[in-house]
Amino acid sequence: MSKRNWLVWGFTLSGIVLLVGFPFLTPNNYIMHVSIIAFFFAILASSWSLLAGYAGQFSFGHMAFMAIGAYSTGLYSKFIRLGTAPTGICTPEIKIGDHWLFFINAYGDNCLDIAKKTMPVGTLIYRLPPWHGIILAAIMGGVFGVLVGGLVLRLRRTYLALFTIGFSEIVRVAINAEIAITDGPNGLQLQPLFPNGMFGFSAVDKIPPYYAMMLLFVVSMLFMYWLTNSRFGLFIRSIREDEEAAAALGVHIVRYKVLVFTITSIIAAVAGAVYAHYVQVITPNILLIAQMSLVIAMAVIGGLESLLAAAIGAIAIEFMLELLRELHIGPLVVDMTTWRLVFFGLLLMLTLRFWNNGLLYPIIQRLTRRGVAEETVAKRLAGQEGDV
Amino acid sequence: MENPTIFYYALLWIIGWGAVGGIVSPRIYARKDLDVSQAGLVGTAVGAAGGPISLLPFWYFTPTLNWRWIVVPSVIVLGVFIAAFAKADPTNFCVARSDYLTTQVANGLVMGSIYGLMALGLTLIFSILGVVSFAHGEFYMIGGMAVYYIGTVWFPGLNPLFSIIGAAIITFLIGLIFEVVFLRAMNTGQVERPGEYAILVTFGLAFFLQYLVLALVGANPKKVPRFVQYPDITFPSGAEAPLLTMNVRTFSFFNSITISSTRITAALVSLILLGILMWFLYKTWTGKALRAVSQDRQAAAVTGINPNRMNTLAFALGGALAGVSGASLVQVFSWVPWVGVLASARSFVIIVLGGMGSLPGAFIGGLIVGLVETIGAGCIPDPQRATAYIPAYGMVILVIVLLLKPTGLFGREL
Amino acid sequence: MIELAVNNVAKDFGGLRALNQVSFKINGPELVGLIGPNGAGKTTLTNILDGVLKPTTGTVYLNGHRIDILPPYQVALAGLGRTFQVTRAFRRMTVLENLLVPAMALHATAHRKDMEEKAWGVLEFLTFEHLANDLGRSLSGGQQKLLELGRLLMLDPDIIILDEPFAGVHPKLMETIYEYITTVNAQGKAFIIISHDMDTIFTLSKRLLVLHFGTLIADGDPDVVRHDPAVIEAYLGEEDDDALTTTISQPGVHHPPPEGGPENDRH
Repeated sequence: MSKRNWLVWGFTLSGIVLLVGFPFLTPNNYIMHVSIIAFFFAILASSWSLLAGYAGQFSFGHMAFMAIGAYSTGLYSKFIRLGTAPTGICTPEIKIGDHWLFFINAYGDNCLDIAKKTMPVGTLIYRLPPWHGIILAAIMGGVFGVLVGGLVLRLRRTYLALFTIGFSEIVRVAINAEIAITDGPNGLQLQPLFPNGMFGFSAVDKIPPYYAMMLLFVVSMLFMYWLTNSRFGLFIRSIREDEEAAAALGVHIVRYKVLVFTITSIIAAVAGAVYAHYVQVITPNILLIAQMSLVIAMAVIGGLESLLAAAIGAIAIEFMLELLRELHIGPLVVDMTTWRLVFFGLLLMLTLRFWNNGLLYPIIQRLTRRGVAEETVAKRLAGQEGDV
Repeated sequence: MENPTIFYYALLWIIGWGAVGGIVSPRIYARKDLDVSQAGLVGTAVGAAGGPISLLPFWYFTPTLNWRWIVVPSVIVLGVFIAAFAKADPTNFCVARSDYLTTQVANGLVMGSIYGLMALGLTLIFSILGVVSFAHGEFYMIGGMAVYYIGTVWFPGLNPLFSIIGAAIITFLIGLIFEVVFLRAMNTGQVERPGEYAILVTFGLAFFLQYLVLALVGANPKKVPRFVQYPDITFPSGAEAPLLTMNVRTFSFFNSITISSTRITAALVSLILLGILMWFLYKTWTGKALRAVSQDRQAAAVTGINPNRMNTLAFALGGALAGVSGASLVQVFSWVPWVGVLASARSFVIIVLGGMGSLPGAFIGGLIVGLVETIGAGCIPDPQRATAYIPAYGMVILVIVLLLKPTGLFGREL
Repeated sequence: MIELAVNNVAKDFGGLRALNQVSFKINGPELVGLIGPNGAGKTTLTNILDGVLKPTTGTVYLNGHRIDILPPYQVALAGLGRTFQVTRAFRRMTVLENLLVPAMALHATAHRKDMEEKAWGVLEFLTFEHLANDLGRSLSGGQQKLLELGRLLMLDPDIIILDEPFAGVHPKLMETIYEYITTVNAQGKAFIIISHDMDTIFTLSKRLLVLHFGTLIADGDPDVVRHDPAVIEAYLGEEDDDALTTTISQPGVHHPPPEGGPENDRH
């Protein structure tokens, strides 16, 4: 391995060490909270950059998939219980070993509440652990990803952007309207990520969710990094560059477009599910189009064509958003809640217009890629001369 | 619904046989070495209309296809759908009361003409710049806000006509500045990937404008008084079912079709504007130049038309059309900084339905979406849901169009 | 054995007939030129062979498999490769990556290392080793054309369709492309070459197909086709293409191959 490569791995490693050690440096709940949200946005921004920057497919529905994930696990923990005795009135009711799985009805009186009065004394009723719901979220994200992708990705790329805006509005409208199921705008309550605490931390401590979200972030980054360096990455980039030419060279373009769309949808859905269990209450406002805009701003300002740049952009912007909440000018305190978004909107447009590759990507690129490429050529040429 | 099962079975029948027709027909046409380009679409329509009864002869005879093969089965499908609905829910106002239904239709057409005007702006931009403006809804929102501020806050009592003109000028200027600063770079090679850039930068504009307006005016809904105070008139007076009964709040035709007066005003504004736009596009030199650029950029450039200037004009004009739609609807709805999101989504449905870049398609698409929205909202049982899901009706249309004919009604074959 | 059979292919666009009952066969590693005035249907025919367009009627068989019903990527994997009139290198991918795309698509389970070895072989053939890690967009127009040819080598098709391979190319590179065609052809691959450059096409190809208003009006030895009255008339009818008409209307005059010098480079 070359010196340059060692440098890259060194940076990566020290980055991970920093992420792991961070809670010990600042055991401050507020900073922990902001970090968790920053990781959440980093996952969304980097997976969106895989879709848009690598595959060239512009979806404005990424937050809709995030919300599908969040509500999948939320509804799972709202409607499904495990008990040691049958209720007799909940349908369906499935016997698993010596336990029964209940599906609580959404309409009318809660069947479980009624059944509790007649169930034998000592009957235990459990909620299922959050990780069940997170797996369900991944599945739902995948199913919707295939459906939406299969419908729209056969067509030109503008259609995806057009369709996903509408799609995310529909998801929002449906969550708002189906109050009996989703609790509508009041928000759906969820159990905490670790209902019984973890490693001696209680369920409300920020440290376990910090590590959970960080782990998800690192794992999804590594997974996406591996993907982009596989044949899959090669194909999706060729599709971004020129679909017709890629097809003429034997690339099954629709399959790979649907695949990358589905994969990024699953990542968004899982991130949404973990986020939902962390904040413990989710409302349809999580998929306001402004949230989507923020993710796009993060990815673009960081650098659309690099997963890492998009992720760092997301983390940086999330912290800046927190810093810019209020502006102190002498004795004056200006509420910046809305103006900071105006600022990032403007920055998004200016970045697109004047810095094609984002603000962070050029820096990262200078540190890593170009040097490596030059070395490969030099090595190859040197090697060949040696052969001769 | 009284007998929902009838309706759902009918729906299942239509979708199932439509799918069978759509999948099998092209193969049969291909096997007989016939033109397959329309076979899928017609097969779907024929299957949905008559199921196996019509599909089998269709497959046996494999007729030469033309537009009649699409229109006739589609009308039959619509008929079956309506009949099933009527059978399933005979007490529904839409079924039991013809005046209620005609009122819904009339309202749909009125709203549709405004939607059409807005979509016309979007399709104008697309046909000339090749760009879908994702900020179109924000122009609509700003048009409404401008009317509120000009006519109600800054100059109370000003003739609404001036507020509308003011809204048009403001949205025109925003479009102009944005085009010059951001979109022109696409043609001069200053931007690397023009297609991707256009999607993102217009989306960024939407984000920026939405929050700028929110920061400036706040989130409280704005209400604008009705533009025109119509007098009480009955014509012809004394008749049992007069042709028109007019008062400040509503217009009533034959005592059965009722439309609120604000909607009438909005529709009149949009129809007048449509007229002006048509005159501009077909009678003036600049308008003809615009159309020339939309048909063949290079050829137009050769004849001395400056394509860059046409781009700017088209984008600004498209924005102004959205602005005027907002300006005329601000008296109908209450206005918040995010009204543009749904309006955008609706315009996208309309231009895909009408065929990207087709001007008549956009207007007709607008009418169709307007009809579907009002009829859906008016006829679906459970009124609360029916209203909540208004944005979804357009999406249903969009899904059907994307599945069956992605080029839309009047789209050119790619 | 390479066998391409085009049977009665017709294509309508709306009411316009772009191709009219075109039939021909290619057996073995032939080197076929496809010419015709502007709007004769050459690109339409290419797009139908490639699978981008579906014929209105008619069939296309490649090595016994029907390919006109397949999507483009399957046609490519079945053994028909093409270039485009306007070069379509993957601009933001390196030259090496450009070459890897078709190879990885063709060999679904291959290791990247092996494919890279293969790609370096092609780079050597194109004398592109020093450009391996340059981005596609940093290449000149002619180099991008060569890169497209390299990608086709990686796809390893039986039949290669080249759409205007000599248009807008520096004479020096033109020689390389010429050499590429003859070398690859000698290795047993069939070529269909579409070109406006009459001199090159007449010297290069052993067989000429002439399209005129969507109809195949001639098919045969270049020297015979040159004298065909229908062909002469087709080209004389085109007033702006006088460069072509001189070539055809002066029977017997043999033009030097492009190695002869840059004076033949009309583009």
